[in-house]
Amino acid sequence: MTAATAADPDRAHQPGGSDQAKSTKRTTSAPRLRGLLPLVVLLSVWELVGSPGSPFFPPPSTWGSALIGLWENGALLAAVLATLTTFCIGLGTATVVGAVLGLVVGGSPGADRAMSPTFEFARAMPPAAMVPIATLLLGYDETMKVTVVTLAAIWAILLNTRAGVRRIDQTLLDAARSLQLGTVERIRKVIVPALLPAVFLGVRVAAPIAVVITLLVEILTHVEGVGALIAQSQRTFQPARVYALILVAGALSLLVNGVLGMVESHVFRYLPGKADGSE
Amino acid sequence: MTSRMRRLRWINWPGLLTMGLLAGAWEAAVRWSLLDYQYLPAPAAIAQGARTLLTSGELIPNVLHTLLVTLIGWSLASAIGIALGLLLGLSPTAYRYSMTSFEVTKAIPPITFVPATLLIFGFSLRMELVIVVYVGVWPVLINTIGGVRGVPVELLDVARMLRMSRYHRVRKLIVPAAIPEIIVGLRLTLSLCLVLAVVAEMVGNPAGLGHALVLAQQALQPEKMFAYVLSAGVLGITLNAVFRSAAAWMLPSPTSGRGGGSP
Amino acid sequence: MKANEQPVAEQASAEDRPQPQPRNTFECRNLSVELRSSGGLACICRSIDFEVREGEFVSIMGRSGSGKTTLLRILGGLLSPTPGSTVRYYSEQVDGPPRGVITVFQNYAASLLPWRTVEKNVALGLEGKVSKDEKAERVAEALAMVSLSKRAKDYPWRLSGGMQQRVQLARALAMRPSVLLLDEPFGALDAMTKTTLQDELLHVYEQTGATVVFVTHDVDEALYLSDRVLILQGDPSTIGESVAVQCSRPRDQIETKQSEGFLTLRRKVYEAIMQGHD
Repeated sequence: MTAATAADPDRAHQPGGSDQAKSTKRTTSAPRLRGLLPLVVLLSVWELVGSPGSPFFPPPSTWGSALIGLWENGALLAAVLATLTTFCIGLGTATVVGAVLGLVVGGSPGADRAMSPTFEFARAMPPAAMVPIATLLLGYDETMKVTVVTLAAIWAILLNTRAGVRRIDQTLLDAARSLQLGTVERIRKVIVPALLPAVFLGVRVAAPIAVVITLLVEILTHVEGVGALIAQSQRTFQPARVYALILVAGALSLLVNGVLGMVESHVFRYLPGKADGSE
Repeated sequence: MTSRMRRLRWINWPGLLTMGLLAGAWEAAVRWSLLDYQYLPAPAAIAQGARTLLTSGELIPNVLHTLLVTLIGWSLASAIGIALGLLLGLSPTAYRYSMTSFEVTKAIPPITFVPATLLIFGFSLRMELVIVVYVGVWPVLINTIGGVRGVPVELLDVARMLRMSRYHRVRKLIVPAAIPEIIVGLRLTLSLCLVLAVVAEMVGNPAGLGHALVLAQQALQPEKMFAYVLSAGVLGITLNAVFRSAAAWMLPSPTSGRGGGSP
Repeated sequence: MKANEQPVAEQASAEDRPQPQPRNTFECRNLSVELRSSGGLACICRSIDFEVREGEFVSIMGRSGSGKTTLLRILGGLLSPTPGSTVRYYSEQVDGPPRGVITVFQNYAASLLPWRTVEKNVALGLEGKVSKDEKAERVAEALAMVSLSKRAKDYPWRLSGGMQQRVQLARALAMRPSVLLLDEPFGALDAMTKTTLQDELLHVYEQTGATVVFVTHDVDEALYLSDRVLILQGDPSTIGESVAVQCSRPRDQIETKQSEGFLTLRRKVYEAIMQGHD
């Protein structure tokens, strides 16, 4: 959903990412726990005031039993797996295609000029609005889900790769040539490693978008996944399930973020600071 | 003469040519059934669909509804986001005792709240507004907090040296220094509000572009669907451009629309 | 300290040097360069003739924009001159970096691979070309030559600027080059580091016997290091003067730089650089 806004490394300033980095740097663990106070108060009041039969606001304790029910009949696991599958294939496809396209337009100013209006135009189309078209053309299936997710996630990766290609210093390429490295070696040992942090930064920006769009497609089309399960629980008036599944979606997005963060600190630990391409 | 020449050179001819060629290839592929999609309209058919929507008067009211909800939602979200952001940014106590709650809540993909609001508010304009405002608050809130807390220490030292009162410090230093970042938040929120309005109309409130899109889908009118998606895209581009030039006009400095204060 | 002999200053343009010389490492005839700039093609230098003799230490000087770096990039095979120019490395026409000619760039931070450790950076040009043992041996040797053996496992961005430049030098030395092309290698370093590295470079020069072409905008540095200083003049530039530096080697930062011959040359080079620019 944020595809049109947070994807552009030339202009943006990703509010989510930068702020998280800021606040983790600033706060220590004690204030972080203290900071949970309003949420705890809210949920406690909700628990005390809400009646278990409420059609709108069932208390948090009922969410747990709803979740257990979903787990026991296997619906939860199937939904989570389906969502993760779409997310992974979609983000993976977007990474490969986006990196290749970014490499092309970043490496050749002519190609950039020729392609940029088309890209800008395509990027401006809201992915959410493309869902009905995708279902009409491709049907209600996995291909449709993956296509929409890929289309939404591709821009952040494309633009970051393009910026990364442009940032490669001519000196680095000259040094490689001067050291008699052949074309293949230059690509393998110099260009690809120099670009990886930029591509990865794109993936980090694209991942939350891919999560949101995966859920959105599921909510809109009811094709299997956590989003579809939420929508179904809503249509069958099971509010406790809806709230429980919202938390599951939150956990999924935290999981994705955590995994990517671990990959980042592991793979790019050699880099000064961290893989920072946005500035 | 020269200005016309310059304009001609400024136009991205290869870019437009590429777009034209792609559209032509699409048209040809559909005409000669090279693409095996039953419901893929050709660009000419989409243009025809758009014309029909315009002349029949279906498009404008839908666009206006979506635009109105977007703007109302954006105003509310901005007001709430800035107020809350200033509170959290300026008061260390408030920040300490609530920031983690906001971070945890923010981690939940806001799109999942669509079914919840649908449950609570039903198929109504209220549901649409609530979801638009909820999603829209986040970027403004985050950027306001970031802007206020990211005011350079040097600037705060200046305030102390000049013995400024707390009120003056906030009004004359901190808030102006935070404005560039707040503006970025406002711009991000504007785009988000539009997208969420369309989504809410698709599943909830039966009005506006989103609902029209779903109706066209149910009626199996792909050329109309493409026309509606294009309208939503054009609306987004227009809103963004208007916001950018308004920001540049009101703040004639390098700050307009760009990210400012660093941590 | 060993500069007891009074250095003799002598100016000679390349042509009227009578005595027999060793082979030419580089030979440039009628060398012109045009670079694409915002306003179309800009002619950087025109009809330059010069040669660099085997084992010689030559500096190229000139005002900024006079094409010093461009000239070096041409010698290194990283840039092609306009057709009709002749650039020979021994007997071969240069097209692409010649074997045995290694360039060391001013921007050390941009020319080292940040994802490789110091020793892996130094090994970059050797990989796949020599055996594993030889590679390790040559890397260790090169690092020892620039006194960086202790930092072999560090990442370059953790080193100071001077050390990073040493890594680049070591990377070049590991290739056992017959020619080193240095593009303002010490331009971004502080004065103390600079003098240390100058002496280290002279040490390497004496040890390896390599031919060195050195671009700098620092007159003292050029005179202190070189056998000959070429000065680019005009726009598009040509070789205005070729100043032979006959201060004896080994040189000394204080003694050499205070000797009368050095001071005379210094004045001459300054005047040559300033010529036509006031």
